[in-house]
Amino acid sequence: MSHTTSGPRLSARGLVKQFGATTALAGVDLDVAAGESVAVMGPSGSGKSTLLHCLAGILVPDAGTVALSGRGLHDLDERERSLVRRRQYGFVFQFGQLLAELPAIENVALAPMLLGTPRREATELAGRWLASLGLAGMEGRRPGELSGGQAQRVAVARALITGPEVVFADEPTGALDQATGQDVMRVLTETTRLAGASLVVVTHDAGVAAWCGRRVEVRDGRVVADERRAPEVAR
Amino acid sequence: MSAVLALAPRLRRAGGRDGRLTTALAVAAFAVMTALTLSVVGGLLGFSARAADPAGAFQREYGDSYVVLAWTAVVLLVVPLLTLGGSAARLGVARRDARLATLRLLGVTPREVVALTVVGTAWQGLVGAVAGVAGYVALLPVWTRVPFQGSTFSAGELWVGWPVLAAACVAVPVLAVVSGVVSLRRVVVSPLGVARRQTPPAMRAVRAVVALVAMGLFMVVLLVLGQLGAFAVAFAIGSLALGFGALNLIGPWALGLVGRLRVRRARTPAQLLAARRLVDDPRATWRVVGGLGLAGFVAGALAVVPLLASASAGEGASAAEVAETATFTGDLMRGALLTLGITFLVAAAAAGITQAATVLDRRREYALQVLAGTPVALLDSVRRREVLVPMLLVAVGSAATAVVMMSPVFGIAGLTDPSGLLLLVGCLTAGCLLVLAATETSRPLLRSVLAETQVRPD
Repeated sequence: MSHTTSGPRLSARGLVKQFGATTALAGVDLDVAAGESVAVMGPSGSGKSTLLHCLAGILVPDAGTVALSGRGLHDLDERERSLVRRRQYGFVFQFGQLLAELPAIENVALAPMLLGTPRREATELAGRWLASLGLAGMEGRRPGELSGGQAQRVAVARALITGPEVVFADEPTGALDQATGQDVMRVLTETTRLAGASLVVVTHDAGVAAWCGRRVEVRDGRVVADERRAPEVAR
Repeated sequence: MSAVLALAPRLRRAGGRDGRLTTALAVAAFAVMTALTLSVVGGLLGFSARAADPAGAFQREYGDSYVVLAWTAVVLLVVPLLTLGGSAARLGVARRDARLATLRLLGVTPREVVALTVVGTAWQGLVGAVAGVAGYVALLPVWTRVPFQGSTFSAGELWVGWPVLAAACVAVPVLAVVSGVVSLRRVVVSPLGVARRQTPPAMRAVRAVVALVAMGLFMVVLLVLGQLGAFAVAFAIGSLALGFGALNLIGPWALGLVGRLRVRRARTPAQLLAARRLVDDPRATWRVVGGLGLAGFVAGALAVVPLLASASAGEGASAAEVAETATFTGDLMRGALLTLGITFLVAAAAAGITQAATVLDRRREYALQVLAGTPVALLDSVRRREVLVPMLLVAVGSAATAVVMMSPVFGIAGLTDPSGLLLLVGCLTAGCLLVLAATETSRPLLRSVLAETQVRPD
């Protein structure tokens, strides 16, 4: 996949989003560089999830622009934005993104299959991803037969298998205990970095944010703090 | 308790657009079930009254056979009709699951959650039953145009009476409540609703053995009865129930087997997902297409009926006997066609209801897939494929099974008579199109669920 090397990989300018009388985003600017990991933090109702949805092309902002590798998402219709999400983005949600009737390997292989990769090739690739995330031997298990941490590793494999430019994670450890959550964050940040993708994590948990190289704080729909620091490393 | 019960009307109103849609679907299913059950019971009462007080020689001679045939129709229809009612109740509960689970977490007791469900589903059942009674009354003029035993029924003959109507208005809500409460157990037992999905054990091949034995037994019975003359056809049709039983045994097992084969051969995401769903719960798919399996089975048996008239006409019988046989076989065809029409309607209603329930059960899964870039068209394709492939398999398979099972009496002539085959193909095509159209009713529901569902509340 060819990435634009100059300028930020993901760029938001003046994002405004309202739901009725409620202002969720009140003019947000944010740049995410290639390979950068950013934690978006804030209390409940601060607008951090709305920001993630706008960056990912799930929601269309009322005003402002989002550009991925220099290409504006605002010019795209829903079908084209869906294609961007499939091809250039990866997603890790809190839970429930794996299809219950598919075994782990097919859940992962489904992503490249949706992009036209033949099933055999997609399955082999999925097997390699699962093995690299420590899930060798669990390929045939269905989501209900995996622990929460294992299921999130499968979700990480599914998000990264298509070689996305940006991975979005929405409270990826929200349904896990602390130790498992730390483990999933280690896998998520390491694998995303090795794959050369940028990572945007929405969380309210400082322990989760510590795994990212940059911390952005959102309050009342605005960015109120933006600090870079050395990320937590694998212990 | 009373404070909690006061929530019932609010819960009913709180569902939004898809809440109204699912309520309408559930009520419509209860209404279809009630109207058709009452119509079938009305027919049974009509034939019983004529047999008890015959108006002519024909009714005196054939009256009891018609009662047997009417009972056969009741036997064939009762399971699909009850299944439809059960599915409707589950759909009604599915929409409320999330809110009831929240109430449970807030401290509402299991008994109160059950009470809320009872009130909600009983209400849907009652509205459906009343609408069904109205539907039955509206259908009476239609049934009175269908000639049986050489004359049409009067509305009075098909009238089930006020006590039966009152009983329906009690029985349908009770059925709804029982199905609803059973399907609600998981909310009561585990309010967090952590549904652990695991690989289901494959159904054992013993099902196929039992079904094959039942089919063999049926064919032997047909051969023996065939020696006793054409009149034994009534008993042969009566033993269709045995064939239906065999079909119900083998159906889910065969669907599971086909699902596993299709998983292996799947190339596209839609093929893979549809096949995995079939493997995941073949019984659920059978609940939708099983009714059509029955319809196909009856249609397959029907394909040979036109032979009866021509066969009996050439045996040197008197003109009166030929006319009587023609009336009897004509009625047999009409009765079977009516049963077919009803099973098609039931299958279509079951398909619509089940697909709507699936969309609601999986709303989070579907929404997250679409957010991650899965095209909505893929979900539509899987939904159609999920029904279409098993439906074709079951409808065509069961029709072929029926033709084979009836072969001891009619030989291969059953396959070669063009009118019978045309009827078979026509019925199956119409039924399949009807069911496919019914599955499309969940299309707006899917769109509405996708538009509403948030990844998580912020």
